[in-house]
Amino acid sequence: MGRIKAIIVKEFFHILRDPRSLTMVFITPLVMIFILGYSISYDLNRIDAAVIDLSQSRLSRELVKAFAANRVFVVQTRDENSPGTLSLAAAEDLLRRGKIKEFIIIPADFSRRLAAHGQSDLGIVIDGSDTNVANLVYQYNERILLEFTAAMSGVGPLLKIDTKIYFNPEVRSQFFFIPGLAAVILLMISAMLTSLSIAKERETGSIALLFISPLKSREIIVGKTIPYIIVALLDGLVILLFARFWFGIPIRGSLAVLLLFALLYIIAGLSLGILISTSAPTQRVAMLATLLSTMLPSMLLSGFIFPIDSLSPVLQAISYAIPATYFLRIIRGVILKGAELQHFLFEGGMLIVLSLVLLAAATRKFNRQRKAVQ
Amino acid sequence: MKLFYLIKKELIEVTRQKELLVLMFIGPVIQIIILGYVISTDIRHVPVGIVNLSKGQAAGQIIQRIRQTPLFRVRYVSDRNEDYLYLLKKGEVKTMLIFRDALDKKRNVLNYPEVQILMDGIDSNTSMIAAGYFNGVIKNYILNDMERRGQGLPLASKTVFRFNPQLRSINYMGPGIVAFLLTIITMFLTSASLVREKEQQTLDTLLISPLSTLEIYIGKAVPAALIGIVDMVIGLLVVVLWFGIPFRGNLFYLFLASLVYLAAILSYALLISVLSSTQQQAMFFSWFSLMIFLLMSGFFTPVDNIPPLMRVLADINPLRYLIKIIREIFLKGNGIAYFWKDLLVLGGIALTLISISLLNFKRFISK
Repeated sequence: MGRIKAIIVKEFFHILRDPRSLTMVFITPLVMIFILGYSISYDLNRIDAAVIDLSQSRLSRELVKAFAANRVFVVQTRDENSPGTLSLAAAEDLLRRGKIKEFIIIPADFSRRLAAHGQSDLGIVIDGSDTNVANLVYQYNERILLEFTAAMSGVGPLLKIDTKIYFNPEVRSQFFFIPGLAAVILLMISAMLTSLSIAKERETGSIALLFISPLKSREIIVGKTIPYIIVALLDGLVILLFARFWFGIPIRGSLAVLLLFALLYIIAGLSLGILISTSAPTQRVAMLATLLSTMLPSMLLSGFIFPIDSLSPVLQAISYAIPATYFLRIIRGVILKGAELQHFLFEGGMLIVLSLVLLAAATRKFNRQRKAVQ
Repeated sequence: MKLFYLIKKELIEVTRQKELLVLMFIGPVIQIIILGYVISTDIRHVPVGIVNLSKGQAAGQIIQRIRQTPLFRVRYVSDRNEDYLYLLKKGEVKTMLIFRDALDKKRNVLNYPEVQILMDGIDSNTSMIAAGYFNGVIKNYILNDMERRGQGLPLASKTVFRFNPQLRSINYMGPGIVAFLLTIITMFLTSASLVREKEQQTLDTLLISPLSTLEIYIGKAVPAALIGIVDMVIGLLVVVLWFGIPFRGNLFYLFLASLVYLAAILSYALLISVLSSTQQQAMFFSWFSLMIFLLMSGFFTPVDNIPPLMRVLADINPLRYLIKIIREIFLKGNGIAYFWKDLLVLGGIALTLISISLLNFKRFISK
């Protein structure tokens, strides 16, 4: 233990010697959460739509009104440049420029056919490029049309649907994104903290000193990881407090439980970094490897944005190897639903297993390099 | 000619490392393929629970339909009024559907049941989409039911999705991933470049060489740009050939836009490199910038949602413009008439960044 202490102390000096990096470790996540917390949102606050009303009848105007009455729709029926109703070509151009999300064509015989046959058609063209937005627009249309039809035919409310939303009654996407961001950022910071440590010694040549030291490889790897646990844990605490007090994300569960899991999660991240560091010949390689292996996978495969339930079985299997998958469940559960320790025994266990596997791989690798030199 | 040697030296330095080559060229392909699959998964199998307290036929038939669609995975069914909230809390189901008999004023059972939807609001996106699916199921049921009883619905709407008729999300996200990987790789190669020479004390050699500051910059940027272009071509081939994303635009404009973008992003990376004193600092800076660039680019969530104050940041984010242009070219086949303004802004960002780092080179580098 005394020998590990020596290397821990040495690493601490190393951290404190570069206050600029240390400040960045603490400041950048806060700035990031501050900016992104305000900026990422799925909520569709505004749908620009155009209506080509060829019918110009009482009924068609009522339909336009039904759309305009919805608070998210901003309906345009005239051409800005030329007088009269909007032409099809003009609407197509608006759609292509992204000025509108959809246009609705009401045919000229709209109310005539409705009167004669009791039935009429409507054409709708939605910009499908952003599929998520297109889906939402489609659903808004359907709801408005169904209500309009029901009112028109006098059926009355077809089916009473009453929706209640739990845990996040105002449906603020911040509640979803900020804990997620905290998790992703914490993993990346942890991995970056250790990813350069051994690569740097290799680049400057001081790794030879480590190789010939009496310390076991295991001790070197662990000793190089421990100091960063403290840095990363403090960082995690700062991030959580910022989310709590600036964005008002309620921490409904216990902070101690959350920090305990955060500790396991950080160790997994640091272990990943140390494995990269022992494998990379230079700092440049280590940097690129860390970024490629943490950034997109922990954002896309962990449930940060895309729900894991919808992924294909192969991808779900990959998501089990990603530490962020587990911590995301834990942090969202504890913060937003007030879940407790015993709910996450599996997740916690998996984080420990991942750390052990990564650390063992790093030790093996380091040991082999050491043998090759000697 | 002097410049040529610097470029050659940089290229040798980058390509002699096997690991770096793998990361630069194989890594992105694997990422595009895996992430492409993640992104092309539409939200399905939403876990739901059902409590059926209705005695009518309609509820049973609607539940039958819910069980049949792949959009939902029914995890819990009950016909008793018990504590169903707990499943929602545990996260086992995202949505709870409760059917009750609806009564009119005379307490007669109406044709259709009353439905209560309890949603987990945390993943608001999934919950909203699930609610939408559910509305669709109900709407179809009612339409069929009315038709069966000989009541046609008076209004029929036909919806067409322009530019992406089948609403494949990969068509929208795929080109964006290529743009982002181009950014990661070129930014990291470049931001580490000058600071590395600082760390290894070879920068002085470079400074006393007959090369001007601008030439040093160009020498550092050109190899990264070349690698970036190669990566981009590989990435484009993967998304077009592997994922079958239609390419409707002009390849020339795509490369023109990418070159202007590379000028901007490489100037930014050089600025990071000049300002940092260790590679670790350069890494933190680049990471910070990449996250902001990525999440404010419209890649995941629309830029329109960004509030005015933060909008300024989105407006100077070079990745936002590249993603917008690349998507327009891919999906809409738009020509330069549609995005020349965006190109100009990108060019402006590049010029501003280059001037800042050129004018302050001496001051920055001495730190």
